[in-house]
Amino acid sequence: MSDIITLRIYEIVGSSLCVASQDGQKVFEQIQQALKDGKNVRLSFQNVESLTSAFLNAAIGQLYGFFDNDLLKERLSVTNIEKDDLALLKRVIDTAKQYFKDPAVIEAVRREAMGDDDE
Amino acid sequence: MPTRVDISLPPIRSDFQGFTTLVNLAERVNSLEYSPIALDMSAANWVDANMCAPLGAILYRASHQLNMVRFEHLTERVQKIFQKNGFLSFYGHAKKVDEWGTTIQYQSFETKDDRFFGAYIEQHFKNKAIPEMSEALRKKFWESIFELFSNAVIHSKTELGIFTCGQYFPNKKHIDFAIADLGIGISQTLIDKKGLNLPPEEAIDWAMEGRNTTKTGSIPGGLGLKLLREFIRLNRGRIQAVSFTGYWEQCADGTIVKKTLPYPFPGTVVNIEINTADTNSYILSTEHKPEDLF
Repeated sequence: MSDIITLRIYEIVGSSLCVASQDGQKVFEQIQQALKDGKNVRLSFQNVESLTSAFLNAAIGQLYGFFDNDLLKERLSVTNIEKDDLALLKRVIDTAKQYFKDPAVIEAVRREAMGDDDE
Repeated sequence: MPTRVDISLPPIRSDFQGFTTLVNLAERVNSLEYSPIALDMSAANWVDANMCAPLGAILYRASHQLNMVRFEHLTERVQKIFQKNGFLSFYGHAKKVDEWGTTIQYQSFETKDDRFFGAYIEQHFKNKAIPEMSEALRKKFWESIFELFSNAVIHSKTELGIFTCGQYFPNKKHIDFAIADLGIGISQTLIDKKGLNLPPEEAIDWAMEGRNTTKTGSIPGGLGLKLLREFIRLNRGRIQAVSFTGYWEQCADGTIVKKTLPYPFPGTVVNIEINTADTNSYILSTEHKPEDLF
């Protein structure tokens, strides 16, 4: 059995407009689960027409608060993504890496995960 | 019985003067309850259609405080604008058909209405005259609008909604689009989340800078407004942002204007003007390879 799974963003969101943070959260939860289960994840952007940084921050940027950069580099890949969407995703990832360099942020994420966050 | 409050409005354009008119109105109606409010429009021979978003936000709040708002003595021209974009339907008037398909209807949303907002944008930009712009520009424009909506949903903490309206001007080759919320405003968000107490126009400036974010949880932020700014700069369009008493504008030549309004706007407004004749491809000069992404 292959340990690579393909997650289709269009299918998870149910629309070609991938713009809302809440929809990004649904994608995040699936990626997070698959990575926790030891899978390699290929994310397909086929049929996605509109993307926002808000969606990508929730879906992918957030992963950098939960997993090591090296692990994500090794086990996450994208397919069927348009050039300009790839450029946007790259900026989201670079911003996320920068954001999670701050130990206070990591602590806040830890608190959030433990359920003792007030946000 | 509360006495009727009469307020006369001048022309309202998308500029500092126009927003000054709106915050003066907001100040007048702020503390009213159960009052009939009559807006005398006889002197308003023009209202930019997109300004219906912040005007509607102010009036929605007034109605929420159980005041009864009505428009009186509308000039023919303004009545036509307000009827075509559906604004007057909220105030007891019939809707007029938009025969040229150039309006982006006045609409209010709740923060959970992302899907409804998406459908609204699709409805106004598919199979309509709006506008004759390149595919690359259309995509960037949609994304900008969605970024603005997401920004209002994530940061505003509005309980009274998000208001949008726009207009396409085929001869001038631009689209104006405004999104207003009745949230806590950017300066208050900065105080609450960062302990940073800046004058409201400086708070807007802070939010417009790349990588500045008030996000503190597990989801990073701070790119939406920066992307919007970059795109509109390349497009030689304009952005205006008003939050509390802050007024901030990025002009077509890229210069930034910051001013203080005499009274607060009860939330945040972002108004964008897109140059639709723009033929930039918006493919970034740096090519990224998927394998180098993460």
